[in-house]
Formats: sequence, structure tokens, C-alpha cells
Amino acid sequence: MTMIFEPDFGTPASEKLDQVSLEIDGRTVTVAADTSIMRAALQAGIDIPKLCSTDRLKAFGSCRLCVIQIDGRNGTPSSCTTPVSEGMNVITHSEKLDRIRKGVMELYLSDHPLECATGDECELHGVAKKIGITTSRYASVDTHLDLEKDESNPYFTFDSTECIVCNRCVRACDEVQGTFALTIENRGFQARVSSSGTSFIESECVSCGACVQACPTGALTEKTLLTIGAPTSSVITTCAYCGVGCSFKAEMRGDELVRMVPLKAGGANEGHSCVKGRFAYGYATHSDRITQPMIRNAITDPWKEVSWSEAISFAAAGLKKIQVESGINAIGGITSSRCTNEEVFVVQKMVRAAFGNNNVDTCARVCHSPTGYGLGQTFGTSAGTQDFESVEHSDVIMLIGANPTSAHPVFASRMKQALRKGAQLIVIDPRVIALVRTPGVVAAHHLQLMPGTNVAVINALAHVIATNGLIDRDFVDARCDAQSFKEWEAFISLPENSPETLEASSRVPAAQIRAAAHLFAQAKNGSIYYGLGVTEHSQGSTMVMGIANLAMATGNIGRKGVGVNPLRGQNNVQGSCDMGSFPHELSGYRHISNPRTRKIFNDAWGIQLQSEPGMRIPNMFDAAIAGQYRGLYVQGEDIAQSDPNTSHVHTALRAMDMVIVQDLFLNETSKFAHVFLPGTSFLEKDGTFTNAERRINRVRPVMKSKIGKSEFEVTCDLATAMGYPMSYENGAAIMDEIALTTPTFAGVSFAKLDELGSIQWPCDETNPTGTPTMHVEKFVRGEGQFMRTAYVPTDEKATRKFPLLLTTGRVLSQYNVGAQTRRTANNIWHKEDILDVHESDAELRGIKDGSWVKLSSRVGETIMKAHITDEVPAGVVYTTFHFPESGANIITTEFSDWATNCPEYKVTAVELAPSIMGPGDMVETHIMGDPQLDSIVRMANQIAANIPAADAPEIKVAHHIVQFWTPAMIERLHNDVNKTDLSPTVLKAIEILLVRN
Amino acid sequence: MRVFVPGDSAATSIGADEVAQAIALHDPSLEIVRNGSRGALWLETLVEVETPTGRIGYGPVTPDDVESLFDADFLKAGAHPLLLGKIDAIEWLASQDRITFARVGIVDPSSLIDYEAHGGLVGLRKALLLTREEIIDEVTESGLRGRGGAGFPVGLKWRTVSQTINAEKYICCNADEGDSGTFADRMLIEGDPFTLIEGMVIAAIAVGATKGIVYLRSEYPHAISALQRAINVARANSVLGSQILGTSYEFDIQIRIGAGSYVCGEETAMLESIEGKRGVVRAKPPVPAIEGLFGLPTVINNVLTLSTVPMILAEGAKTYKAFGVGRSLGTQVFQLAGNVARGGIVEKAFGVTLNELVHTYGAGTLSGRPLRAVQIGGPLGSYFSTAQLETSMDYESLLTAGGMLGHGGIVIFDESVDLAEQAKFAMEFCAFESCGKCTPCRIGSTRGAETIDLIIRGVKVDENKKLLLDLCEVMTDGSLCAMGALTPLPVKSAMINFPEDFTGAPK
Amino acid sequence: MKFTPWSQDVALALLATLREEKGPVLMALQLMQKEFGYVDPACVGLIAHFFNKSRADVHGVLTFYHDLRTTPPLEHQISICVAEACQAVGVRTLAKEAKARFGDMVNDSFCFGNCALGPTAMVDGKLIGRATVGKIESAFQ
Repeated sequence: MTMIFEPDFGTPASEKLDQVSLEIDGRTVTVAADTSIMRAALQAGIDIPKLCSTDRLKAFGSCRLCVIQIDGRNGTPSSCTTPVSEGMNVITHSEKLDRIRKGVMELYLSDHPLECATGDECELHGVAKKIGITTSRYASVDTHLDLEKDESNPYFTFDSTECIVCNRCVRACDEVQGTFALTIENRGFQARVSSSGTSFIESECVSCGACVQACPTGALTEKTLLTIGAPTSSVITTCAYCGVGCSFKAEMRGDELVRMVPLKAGGANEGHSCVKGRFAYGYATHSDRITQPMIRNAITDPWKEVSWSEAISFAAAGLKKIQVESGINAIGGITSSRCTNEEVFVVQKMVRAAFGNNNVDTCARVCHSPTGYGLGQTFGTSAGTQDFESVEHSDVIMLIGANPTSAHPVFASRMKQALRKGAQLIVIDPRVIALVRTPGVVAAHHLQLMPGTNVAVINALAHVIATNGLIDRDFVDARCDAQSFKEWEAFISLPENSPETLEASSRVPAAQIRAAAHLFAQAKNGSIYYGLGVTEHSQGSTMVMGIANLAMATGNIGRKGVGVNPLRGQNNVQGSCDMGSFPHELSGYRHISNPRTRKIFNDAWGIQLQSEPGMRIPNMFDAAIAGQYRGLYVQGEDIAQSDPNTSHVHTALRAMDMVIVQDLFLNETSKFAHVFLPGTSFLEKDGTFTNAERRINRVRPVMKSKIGKSEFEVTCDLATAMGYPMSYENGAAIMDEIALTTPTFAGVSFAKLDELGSIQWPCDETNPTGTPTMHVEKFVRGEGQFMRTAYVPTDEKATRKFPLLLTTGRVLSQYNVGAQTRRTANNIWHKEDILDVHESDAELRGIKDGSWVKLSSRVGETIMKAHITDEVPAGVVYTTFHFPESGANIITTEFSDWATNCPEYKVTAVELAPSIMGPGDMVETHIMGDPQLDSIVRMANQIAANIPAADAPEIKVAHHIVQFWTPAMIERLHNDVNKTDLSPTVLKAIEILLVRN
Repeated sequence: MRVFVPGDSAATSIGADEVAQAIALHDPSLEIVRNGSRGALWLETLVEVETPTGRIGYGPVTPDDVESLFDADFLKAGAHPLLLGKIDAIEWLASQDRITFARVGIVDPSSLIDYEAHGGLVGLRKALLLTREEIIDEVTESGLRGRGGAGFPVGLKWRTVSQTINAEKYICCNADEGDSGTFADRMLIEGDPFTLIEGMVIAAIAVGATKGIVYLRSEYPHAISALQRAINVARANSVLGSQILGTSYEFDIQIRIGAGSYVCGEETAMLESIEGKRGVVRAKPPVPAIEGLFGLPTVINNVLTLSTVPMILAEGAKTYKAFGVGRSLGTQVFQLAGNVARGGIVEKAFGVTLNELVHTYGAGTLSGRPLRAVQIGGPLGSYFSTAQLETSMDYESLLTAGGMLGHGGIVIFDESVDLAEQAKFAMEFCAFESCGKCTPCRIGSTRGAETIDLIIRGVKVDENKKLLLDLCEVMTDGSLCAMGALTPLPVKSAMINFPEDFTGAPK
Repeated sequence: MKFTPWSQDVALALLATLREEKGPVLMALQLMQKEFGYVDPACVGLIAHFFNKSRADVHGVLTFYHDLRTTPPLEHQISICVAEACQAVGVRTLAKEAKARFGDMVNDSFCFGNCALGPTAMVDGKLIGRATVGKIESAFQ
């Protein structure tokens, strides 16, 4: 294996279209206008020495090594800062230029260690060698060679003695990352790089690594490079953290991973990274990794390590026994958004083919399922419309319920670049997130709504647009369904949707809504980005549709700079959804009830698929408690920590007879498991991840599998043991089967991915290299469908007993349940979940900053540390859910999105009290009654409440139920529910359902 | 009865305030005008009294002389050992070509009425009747070049800015007069600030700018308050503001104060500093005329440049360019400084010889010891030897002689000067003031000072002299801005013109 | 010269006067020094937050300009011009003497624009031409 080398052209590519021809060293070179002479020369293969320039950063012109001569011009300008012009004649090498370069290098060497700790990594010595000089003649009385190293950052060192003050780190922090944490302090010879006069760890640095990446010498160096040594080979792969899906070069020395270097050619990240992807990969080789399968008869028994075949037989026997006793539908599986498309595809295939039912769901259920539903209904496809690059073409960006600087940092940097270039920002969030006001960025509007009132705000915005003549009629007429638009326009123009009416619920001043609506509607290119603050609500799907309505009404679909863009939480949320891991859908979002779709799979797999939807995750829990669901295979999701209402989840898990967990580590869920199957980290996988922009990126094995086999092999073995033989030679073979059965993936293969780097689906005969922007000519569903989005307040309300609203989110350094990041040095930044409380709420309850508080909701209570801040408004508290000790989900409730059952994580009524104790053993609430029946009643009524009352809602309710509920649930709705608990619409819907049967 | 006691800070530095106080104490009924200085600093404190035959001067006056002045009835031009006669008739002043400095020392710097009475606002009123193109044509025709040092044609710069399409543009006046041996900007601002304001307004109208900034050094507190006072008066009288002299033109000026950084006199570093940032030099292109302050098209001109514009508009380009030689047209405000008997402002047409300035006007050294060296053009200027005194003082001749005009400062040294020490200081100054961006300047200046120190101490003299010359080439050709590129000028000129000081022999 | 003792409230009130300024960081630092005699280290975070800059941005500016100091001023401030024109009239000797006499109160400076009447010193804000140690001392306010 060899090192992958990405050339550095010194300055960024020009965006100009017109071409310019010039002569460089006698060679005729033609490049885009405004290209630097340096870049033009390098493109023509003429190497000009350089140190301060790099093509990720604007030209700076400080090192003076790249000087050149131009016919007819005085002096020796730097080639990085001088643009080409037509007919120019440039000389890059002459005696004069050599003398200047040697002279400059001699000055550098007069204040630089003769030998650098990083050896050949130091570009200074490389360039010195190239221009033929190794020592300096100067006496060097004053130097910086005795400055102390800053080792405070866990991942990299700052050694000022090797610093050449080229500003690349400072500029990278400003231009690429947008944090402005670095500066030069002092001036002249005393000028040094500084993280604002403090150590790196105390500074504003977010440890993204851009400075380390940019540093040409050993001044900023990964600690691993110093301890392990220079890498000898590299592999291009994809980060396994968030949905940005950054491409990295994994650089290895032998079997050891030296460092992860962001890939400039990576479509999603273009050479940038964040602290997690760049540095927090140590979990992959952590000693906590379980590499041997384990089984036990009861969850109170100790684990027993066994062979793979014994574990698989044990698991299969357990599952088969359940199916014999309780029916074919009494088991199921959960796929993981952390796993590759190939692994997910194989798991859902196992459930459908080997388990013989549709009880497969994905952890995307609890994050972005409303995106799938909402965008499917309006646009006809369940995905974001743009690529990330698009944001740089936006004039107004609306950011709703997302905190990209923490959760999608690399995309946030891109957004900040757009904002610094002049784009305006509208933030809709209960919290004062960083982008509301951060160096270089100030949001034009922050609509600080109360949790749970998204739909009120989006409707109010749309109301202003509809009633102030701001609708893009041309777009709507040309692209959207006329009837649905007419109905929507009439609906949204109703006084009930005015900002003045809705102000009481949302607490956003009407004037602010009006101003924001005007700003967005009048933008040349308006784009909307959103996160889980949109989806994880009882009206998550309604909100997604409201967003889609707004984009269509303002004509912001189908070109660069616009669109509706979900920011996906996990690396492969998009992919796991694409792969058919919803119980009602096969790959490519095709409903299970469609016989033509089923036929494709029946033929390919040699089986007969069930035609009705299987259970969603919450349905599984309810059914387990009801005794109907007894066996579960769960891959790479820690449902016991991450799913809401922990007591309910634990009760369900305890009720099951065969819980199979496949993961890297023992986790909260494995406490309830009977079989533990070791999984592989992303460094061992061979497959693909699909990021939030539908970009399919290759995940390549960087190291040998620590469990001796690939993860999909384990799945295949289990399927085979269940009686349905499955096997694949490699990931490529699985992708071939995906392509064969899934029209949007028809043109995708590993060979093509290797050739193109990445592909944004749909990729088929019409779009052979993929589709960066969707819905360009027409919507996937044909005409854009407007949906009426009545605001239905959630039942989760602040009460006298629980007067505050809790909402949840992530921090930069930790990731979701923390299984990975908690096993890295990232804990230095954030080592426990903290509850953010507004000063007035804290004062009222006698809570001090940094003290323990008891946090309780109607479903449970927990203890965490309070942080008093004005980042949350009075009445709202906020926490992360990264640590099992605090178990934030003990508090969150069973309430969920009406259309998709995505949990309402973002709104929980709570109360706080000072606590003298820290977190102890979890106190679980006893689950009573028939939770399944309660869910069925709640869900049915909720669907009815959210379907517009205007036209035969009972038909739509019935249709919705048939589309998404299992037959068993529908049966209980018929037979077991106390009819007085149901709304009249539901009762009518039941009659329709009876007729249908 | 008006008595003039300069309020100029040079005059006050040697007691003008105390003189004024003593006069006021003696006769509280007198109207004491705190004018600027005439520029004959060797005569400060120069007290003038207004008489029917003109202004009569006494000087240099100390507070102790005041009593005797009253005794001599100086208010009626009475005889006194310090009596100078009619000021306008003093040869030192009368023989000068006062154009830019025409009003300095004569008018009350805080009085717009006085300003207008002495020909102020004529240029602006004429400009208001012209098109933008016509104003720029006039300035171009005059041959006026940037007086800050670079000598760039002013009309060309204005035209570039004028042709940009931005709605917002800036006029930035560079008043960061940091060169040792220069004080003309300060004296003009203190003595005749309305001229600068008028020049900026004309520039603004010519290029379509609405905002002006004067970047003034913190070392000039007196100039800051004098200019602020004048700006306030100008605003109150519609010379600045939203309807300039009743027209629809809009322009206003803000003062931004430096914070102790020589390199901020470099135009791009100045822009950074005005933007509130580190005063670090920007690479060009883009030139400030296209992308300057806050990224907007910006005219950057020196105080003297802008202050010459009203006269050019008032009296016509032809009148102005009648002065001077070759491509150096008009007058230069020379400043005689250092060890000079008669120091001060000498405004003369380009082409005057160094000798005339040093001997005719300067009257040789203050110490009376023989003249040895003259540094022209500030700390980045060359050291001239007495053999070069016949050099014509214009842009081209100075370049040929291995020097540069800079801001017109002339520092005179007597025989006690050690040119090796001066060369070392040039490097030390660069090391102290370098912005630290480009390598030749950032490291080179420190290495340069160290190397000269070795030469002075007699260590490997020949090797180090060779190394120093190599360094000078790297700094000259490799530096990003003029600061690093010109620092070798004093060093090399000292080595070439005064080789006897670089032998390493103990002195 | 009299300065206000460091107070965050006073500082914030002063910063508020610069709210409408473009590029306010240097002005803010100068304003702090004018009021308090120096830039208290607490100003870095305060100014950064007030004007939505990073602390590094402010720190970079603060350390660039020699006028700005981060410790309270001594009893008197004496700046002596040590540039060429004053060198020509013996400032090298004067500066040595003054430093011996007044110690750390003496700072080097470069040019007060009084180059025909050097050596020049600025003593507690007052410009002194033809400066001597005696004239400096008698100029103390």
C-alpha cells in the first residue's frame, strides 16, 4: 500500500469562466481568469517554492519564496498574490529569484530547529532542500528556539519553536473553520501564533484540526504522529459520526492508524473536519471492544464467551422457538444508521426473508422519520434537495431546530462562510444557539419560540407570505399541484394562522415573524436547513410539510442555493432509510403494499413478502409488554439509552425472551440481551454510507476486522441459521443487489464509486453520475403537493406540577449516547450531561450554578448538574443525552409524531428541585395497564387531529392507518378500544376500515 | 488688537503657551490668536502683532522676555533685541514657494471666517461647478503626485476610484506621519486644518465618496484636537455634512487615531488599523482604489497631497505645474530637522538643491561642528554625504542618487555621527516596527541589526558585510511592502557613502 | 494624570458609545486605556463579547500596538523620542540619563513631529522640545 497524495495548487481555484493564456517559463498556459500565477504554473507542472500558501486558503503573500519576474513589470512579486493576465510572460526561475529564495530560506533557517521532530513532514526543510540550502550564515543571537511547547490539547501539540509565522493556522481557523480562535500576538520579530494568550485548551479552539492540517511545519502536529511515527500508507474512507459524511485519508503506519486527514477531494467536506472525525477515533481500538460472541439464558446470568457458530445457533434457536410459540410476527429487527448501506440492506433482508415478516425498523425512526414522511408527501422523495455546496449560493438561510456548530460542525463552517460573504440568517430555535451570534456571524432574526410550537411559527411565516403578496406565483403555477395550492392558500390565509394569533402559543413577537417572512420571501435564493428540533415533535411530520410548503410557495426549489435540507444526525440515517429498513417500505421508499415492488424482491430473493406493514420500534415495545413480541435483533443502536421513556423501554426489553445485540461495546441495551454479537468499527467495514446530501461515500477497510469477519457475514450466518441461506462475497456484491432491486440506485456500483469518488442518488440511466440538486425540472412526484398544516398543540404541556419544558440536544465533543466519544479524550471538553437553566427559574427554586438538581417528569426522574445561562429562555430547560449515568431519557415521554411515531424528545414538561446527591441508581417507574392499547388510542386520535377537517378526514385517517399500522394493531383498534376514547373521525375511519376488510 | 502666539505643538514644546499666558496676564484685554507656526521653528516662540503696516514679528520669545516686550511697546512694533520686522519680509520665508503651506501660521486655525478671508473654500466652490471628470482632469493636469512618499499620480488614483460603481466609497487621509525628521502634516493640521478638510471634500466629490477618515497618530494629540475642532466648525457651516455648501453632495469626516505603529503609515496596514485590526500589510492586488477600507473603493492620500488640491482647483493646474522640474511638478514641503541651526518648513519648487536647503535655509548644524551626513526621506531614506550636496531635490534625481524623497524630511547630522550605528538603528527600527507578516522584514531586520553589530564589534567584518549586502538584496526585492524593501536604503547608503565607519575598528 | 479605577460597568458604558462604529476593536481598546490608564486583561473578553469578535481577535490587536499596555501606569509617563532627528542632537545620551534617573517610567518612542527642536520628550502628555533631564522633571504634573 502507498500514500495517497493530494496536490496543493497553492491558491484556490478561480470561479471565473473566461480563460486567459500566458507564458510561464516559455510554456503556454491557459487557465481561468483571476487564477494566481502560482496555481497556473503548478497546473502546468512548474513547481514554484512556497510555504505560506495552500489551496484551501486565500493567498497571503508572506513567505516570499514564490517570487517571480514578469516581463515589463518592475520587481519580483509573489506568484500567489499576482493574478494571471492575457499575454503575460512569467519567469519562475532565474539567478535573481534563486538568490532571493535562498536568502529568504536562510532567514527561516536562522530561527528554526535544524532537525524537526516530525522529520520529513516539515515542509520548510523540504523546500530548503529543493532550493539548495541547508544552513544559515547568520549568528542568530535572538531566536524563538527556547519557547515551551503547548501540550494542553489532547490531540495535538503546538511547538512554537518550529513555527514560521506563515499564518496558515490562523487563516484556516478564520477562513475554513470560522472560529477565529487563533491570532498572531505581538509584531515584528516577536510575532507568534497564539490562541489568544492562553493555552489551546483554555482558548476558543474547537479542536477541528484545520490548523494542524494547514501547518506546513511541525509547529502544530498530531500527537499520534510523534508517538507512532510517519505514516507509510493511506486509505480513503468516510467518517462514522454525523450525517455530514466527511471523507478522510486514514493514514497508517503498518497496522496502526496514525491520523485521519480530511480529504480535499471529499465532496461533503472538501478538506475540512471536526474534532470527532479528525481525532476521536480511538474508540475503534479501545480495550472495551467486545470481539468474542457471548450468550446467556437469562439476563440475570453472567455472560459466557462462545464460538461464533454457537452464538448464532443459540440465537436462531431462540428466535425460531418464539415463532413456533407466538407466531411468525413475534420477532423482528432494528437496523442501524451507524452501519453501512450494505449491512443495513442485509439486516432488513434477513428480517423480511429469514424472519418472514416486516418487523424491521431503523433507529432513524427516532430522529428523521418525519422527514421521510413529510418530504415524501410534498415532493415525492424522502431526502434533502441539495448538496452542501449549495449553501454557499444562498442569500437567506433559514435554520430551524438545528445547532450545526455542535452537531454538524463541518457543514456549519460552510454555512458560516456563506454568512460571512453576506448571506442573512434566520434562526428558529428555543435556544440561543451559537449561530445566533458568534464571531463573524449575527443572525438577522432569531425567532425564539417555545418548544413544541414549530408549526405555529411556520404557519405564521407562510401566512405573512400568502397575505402580503409574497408568493412566487410563477413557480407555483408552473411546478405545483394547483388544487392543493388553492386549498393551502385559503387555509394559511385564515386569521387563525396569523402571527398575531399564534404569538400567544409560540411567544414569538408577530412583528419579528413578519420581518423574517419578508426577508425570506424576498431572497433571490432562500434555503431551509433543519434538524431534530423539527422532527422530534408530536407534529414533526406536519412541520416538515410546513417547511416544504414554504419552500414551494417562495419558489425556492430546484436550483443551487435553495431547497429543503434535513441535517441528518447519524452518518448513515439517509442510507439506512434508503435501504428499506422501515416496516412499511422496501428500499427506495416503495410501499410494501405495492405488488410490483414486492415482485422484484420476491423474484430476487425467492420468497413471498408480507404485503402489510410490520411494527415500528415503539410498536415493538408496546407489543412486547403485551406479550405479542418476544424476540429482537438490534444492531448498533442502544435503545435502552437513546429511546424515550426509559422505564417503558426497559420493561419491554425485560419482557422479551431473545434479545440479540450486535455492537462494539456492552451497552445499556445489552444489559437486557441474551446474545451479544460483536460488531465492527467503521475502520474495519467495507461498504458505503449515504450522507445528508444523498452522497454515497465509500467506507474502506483501514484495518483487519477485530472480530475476524465482516458484520454482514454475521447477519447472513444468522439468516442462514434461521433457515434462509444468505451469503455475499463482499460489500460490492451487496451493492450490486441493491442496484438491481432499487431504481434510485440502479447506476451505483463500487467500481463507479471508486472512479467518481462519490455519487449523489438518484443515479440511474438519466443521471449516470448522480444528482446534486433534486426536483430541477419537476418534482419527483410530478407536481409539488401543498399540504394543509393545522397547528395542533402537543398534549405535553407545562402544568402546575411540571411547569418547565425540557428540550434536548448535542454538544460538539460528544456524540449521541456517547458510546464512541466517551471512550476518547473528548471527555476533556464535556464529561457529563449538564442541565441548562435560566437564571429566573433557578433563582425561584434555589438552584445554584454547578449544583445538583433533581429533574422529574410524569414518567421518571434523574439527577444532573445545573448550569445557569441565558441561552435558554425562562420556562425552558435543556440538556444533552450523552451519558448513561444521567439518563436524560428517563424523563422523556411516550408521546410521538402523529404520522411516524418519531418520539417527542424535544418537549417534556418537567420540574426541578435542588438535590444534595449526585446521580445514583436509576429509579424506574412501574409500567401499569395496557400501554399498547393506550398507544393505539393516542395515535389514532392524534392522526385524526392532524388531518385537515375540510374534506372527508375519516378516509385519510383510515388510509394512513392502513399504510403504517400492523394488521394486529388495526385489529385491536376494532376490537379492544373503548370507543368513547376515540374521536368521531376515528370512529368513522374504523367503519371504513371494517368495510375494507 | 491681535497678538499672534503660535499654538503649534513645536512652539508650545519650547514655551509658547507660557509666553501667551504671560502676555495675557500682562494685558487681559488683548486678543491673543493661537495661530499655527510659520515654520521658522528656529524663531519660536515667534510672537506677531498686527499693525497697520502688516504683521511684525518678535522671536524667539521666552516667557522671561514678555515683560521687556511690553516695556518696548511691542504692540506698536517698538524696538527690541528680538524684533524681526515685517514677517513677510524675512528672507527665510519670503524666498519660499508657499502654496500648500500658504496659510499656515497666518490664519487662526479654528476660524472658518479667517480661512475664507485668506482664500479658503475658493477651490471647493469651483469644484462644485465642475463635473467629476473635470475635477479629476484638473488634478491630473497639475501633475500632482502623492506626497506621502510613493509619488503616485493623484489624478490616476482618483480616476480609478471614480470609475468603480459602488454606492459607498471612502476618502482616507493618511496622517500617520511617522518618519523621523518630518512634521509638515502635523503643522498643516494644527495650523490650517480647513485646507485638509477642503481637499478631502473635493476628492470626495470627484470620486463619489461620502465618508472620509483621517488616520492620525496618537503621538500628535494637539493635531487631533485641532482637526476635531475644525471638523466641528466645518459641519456647523455645511462644509461637511449632508448638503455641502447648499448642494446635494454629502460627505463627512471621522478621525481615527493610531496606537503606536510606524507600519500603519503603509496604506494597506493603515486600512487594517482603521478597521480596528492588527496593522498588518495586505498583499496587492487588489489595490485600495478598488478594494480598500472595509472592502470598498478608497482614495488614500497623504495630508500634504490633499491639502494641495484646493489651491490647484482655485488657481488652476497650470499655475501649479509652473513650479518644479521634469516629472516632479509643483512644490515640496521640505522639513529641516535634526542637528540644524535653522530648522523648520521650507516649501520650495522641486529642483532646489540639497545644499540650498541645508546651508542657505538650514544655516548648517546647530552644534556648529562640521556637517557630516544628511538623511533624506525618513528612517527608510538614504544617508547622503557632503559630496552629494548638489543633488537636485526631486523624485527622479534622488532616485538616481540612490535615495528617495519620501515625505521630504531632511535630518542633518554633524561630524559626531557614527554611520554604522545609524545603519544598525535602521535595522533595529525596522525590527521594532515591522508588522511581522513577511519573512524578509520580520526576521531580516533582526538579523540585519545583529549582523551590523558584529561588524561594529569587528567580528568577521568582511564576511558579515557580504552577508549584510545579501540580506539587503533579499529585503529590497523580497519584502511585501516598502518598510522592509526600503530599510536597506539607509543601511546600504551608509556603507557606500561612509565606508570608513564599517571597518570594525574600535572608535 | 488621573484615571478611573478599573470597573466593568464603566467599561461597558463606554463600549456602548462605540456600538455604531465600524471596526471598533482598536477604538475600544484605546478608550479603555484612556479611561483606566491601561487595558485591563478583563477587557479582552468584554470587548470580544460586546462586538462579537473572538478573544483571539482582540488579543491580537492588543498585542500589536505599542501604545496599549495591560498594566496600570506608573506615576509619570515619560516617552522620549529616540529616532534619527533626535539622535542627531544627542538623544542617545539623554535617554540613558533619563532612564537612570526615572527608571521604568521612561519609554522609547519614535517621533513626535518636533524634529527641528529635539531632543523631544512627552511627559504626562506634554510635549517638551530641546529636552533635558531637568526639563523633564519640571514638567511632571
